[in-house]
Amino acid sequence: MNPVTSQTLLSHAWFGLIGLMLVLYVITDGFDLGVGILSLFRSKESDRDMMVQSIGHVWDANETWLVVLGGALFGAFPAAYATLLSDLYVPVMVLIASFIMRGAAIEFRHAASGRRPMWDRVFGLGSLLAAACQGVILGKVITGLLPGDLNLGFVAVTAIGVVSGYVLLGATWLVKKTTGKVEQAARKYSVISVFTTVICAIVVSIGTFKLSPVGNGRWAEPGVFHTLVALAIVAALAFFYIVYSVNVGGESGPFNGSMVLFVASFTGLAISLFPDIVPGQLSIAAAASNSTTLVFMLFGIGIVFPIMIGYNLFQYYWFRGKVELVKH
Amino acid sequence: MPVEALHLARGQFALTAVFHILWPILTISLSAFLLVVEVLWVRTSDVVWYRHARFWSKLLLLNFAVGVVSGIPMEFQFGTNWGPFSEYTGQFFGNILGFEGAMAFMLEAGFVGVMMLGWGRVPKGVHLFATAMVAFGSTLSAFWIMVANSWLQTPSGVAEVGGKLVVTDYVKAIFSPDMPWGASHMWFAAIETGLVVIAGISAYHLYKRRNAEFFVRSFKLALTLLVFVAPIQIWLGDSSGVDVFETQPAKGAAIEGHWHTNAPGTGASWSLLAWPDQKKQDNDWSIEVPGLLSLLGTHSLHGQVKGLADIPLADQPPMLPLLYYTFRAMAGIGFLFMVLAFWTAFAMYKARGRLDALLARRKLLLAWVLAIPLPYIAVECGWIVREVGRQPWLVYGLMRTENAASNVPASAISASIVMFACFYVILISSFFIFARKWMRTGPDLTLVPPAEPVRPSHAHATVDY
Repeated sequence: MNPVTSQTLLSHAWFGLIGLMLVLYVITDGFDLGVGILSLFRSKESDRDMMVQSIGHVWDANETWLVVLGGALFGAFPAAYATLLSDLYVPVMVLIASFIMRGAAIEFRHAASGRRPMWDRVFGLGSLLAAACQGVILGKVITGLLPGDLNLGFVAVTAIGVVSGYVLLGATWLVKKTTGKVEQAARKYSVISVFTTVICAIVVSIGTFKLSPVGNGRWAEPGVFHTLVALAIVAALAFFYIVYSVNVGGESGPFNGSMVLFVASFTGLAISLFPDIVPGQLSIAAAASNSTTLVFMLFGIGIVFPIMIGYNLFQYYWFRGKVELVKH
Repeated sequence: MPVEALHLARGQFALTAVFHILWPILTISLSAFLLVVEVLWVRTSDVVWYRHARFWSKLLLLNFAVGVVSGIPMEFQFGTNWGPFSEYTGQFFGNILGFEGAMAFMLEAGFVGVMMLGWGRVPKGVHLFATAMVAFGSTLSAFWIMVANSWLQTPSGVAEVGGKLVVTDYVKAIFSPDMPWGASHMWFAAIETGLVVIAGISAYHLYKRRNAEFFVRSFKLALTLLVFVAPIQIWLGDSSGVDVFETQPAKGAAIEGHWHTNAPGTGASWSLLAWPDQKKQDNDWSIEVPGLLSLLGTHSLHGQVKGLADIPLADQPPMLPLLYYTFRAMAGIGFLFMVLAFWTAFAMYKARGRLDALLARRKLLLAWVLAIPLPYIAVECGWIVREVGRQPWLVYGLMRTENAASNVPASAISASIVMFACFYVILISSFFIFARKWMRTGPDLTLVPPAEPVRPSHAHATVDY
């Protein structure tokens, strides 16, 4: 073990902060991407109106977590920012394209009275594409950006996993926020997606163990395996709770359970990758900026971070409760 | 790095930047204008101001949506297309972009929801606060972006360690020599854009004599502000010019088509029009005013202005005629706005508050309608001057553009350029279709302010705009 310097402390603090931003992004934008994907399955326009209304006030703030994350990564770990984005050029560009599609569609659907069904499809497809791209990026990062048929299969599983995970978040969000037919359908979607998500998570865990350049080495280190088992138990409990809560008519329970499931999976992933930021290619230490920058960023973003979380909570508070459909 | 991929990466950056900047300039100014209107409403309880707030905020929402989605490629493009640059400068440049994302973007995106959907659902005061946060956030966003860009123009406060730039002095790096001028010139450009757009749209309705009593309010308010903003912007532009001649002599010489350093004791002459020729290292032809360039560029009679011919060819900016004429277009539009604003102020003075007297000034109203695209042209020209004029450097004096691009296959870049171009066509045409609908519908003159909510009622992310 190297002596702990302020540089290692700072760079690890930033690794943790960026991880936190990623969790916040994945959960918040995850549910609105999921709602977007599910809108593809609803043929009635009033159903889609209700679904879009349930996320109308928060989706852009949710997406902004990714912008914050990108900026933080650029400043704190310039080498990781450059390597990841250059090597993942195609999925990143498609991801940006899908954000443009859904962002424009959700705003324009309000303005377009006659063409609303068309913008709704653009919104749904954009959401699906965005989720799939994020899954591809996740898979490529875990496999250390290496090519190969086996890795390709792994990437396909992570893509399906992220899509169904976001659908789970979206469906349980709809259980919480909507009423009537949409809520009933959302309960059904929740059960299906929780099963597919968990199956994918198991396959990804096994794959990480077999394929990832650090996954298996890391898992053999003392303490790591036990922590992962504990997280797996938490995830399993969350899974049973979601299924139970959906069936007994819980309103917020399914969404809360899904959040726990996501946080447990994400923590497991972060522990597996640590101390690399790009597995097998770039360690936290090698990618980090100098202490001067890290301290300055900590002051700048450290002050803003609680405020950002505060006004996000404020928004969720003002718009809490079930959505009431307003006719246009 | 193949040359083809480098050119494509530059083309992609130019395309995305030229498209993106169209939107934030209106977001900055329109949100500030809405703040003024909402303060007027809260203070006077005059329902017309409330209707103005509701009317113009629809345009803001449309504009904001395109601004946000077209801004996303900007942030990630540095990593995808300019990897070596990102690694070299990330400790400062990336840090500042991170600040922009964290502080400003969140503030804007976070409060736009309350601003747009919160009418009648949140108390007046909370709504006003949300509007203020959107206005403040967009201005803060512009500030950090200009800090980052000015640092590329005049990098300071950093040292190269192990092939990367590390920050040695944050105050110097943030307040780089170009920053005060660059940031204020850009902010005023944004404000001027919004005021001209508001004046133009109001003038259109006055010209058509539709809802004239309503639109005369916004017309007068915009003009009152423009009378001050237009001359200030000219002064800021002039001061930025002096700064450019001092910090980036090659850019200064290029935008003025100035080839030969003036001898001591003489003033450099200024060309009104010319055709700069890089091969010949001179102008093909020019119409000159003796001595004026020293006065403009250094604010002194015989100030030395370095000529392009005395700068090595490898350090000269490319595309000289482009730089020369975009600069002239920008400055010309700036002066035109001042003339128009003064002319209108005079006409309004003569009208002495009588609406029909103002409506009778048909040519004046038409001039404002026709002026709507001009601020956009001026801003684009200004950015071309700023960015093309900095070439061949990406970080002035430290990193050349040719060494800054990622090693990405040219085919991938071309595909993404085509993709962005298609999106932009769809976005801009949709925007115009909706904006036209918004113009035709006009303001809702039956709107009455909602009663104050008794308590934060639950909810309802309903959409009624």
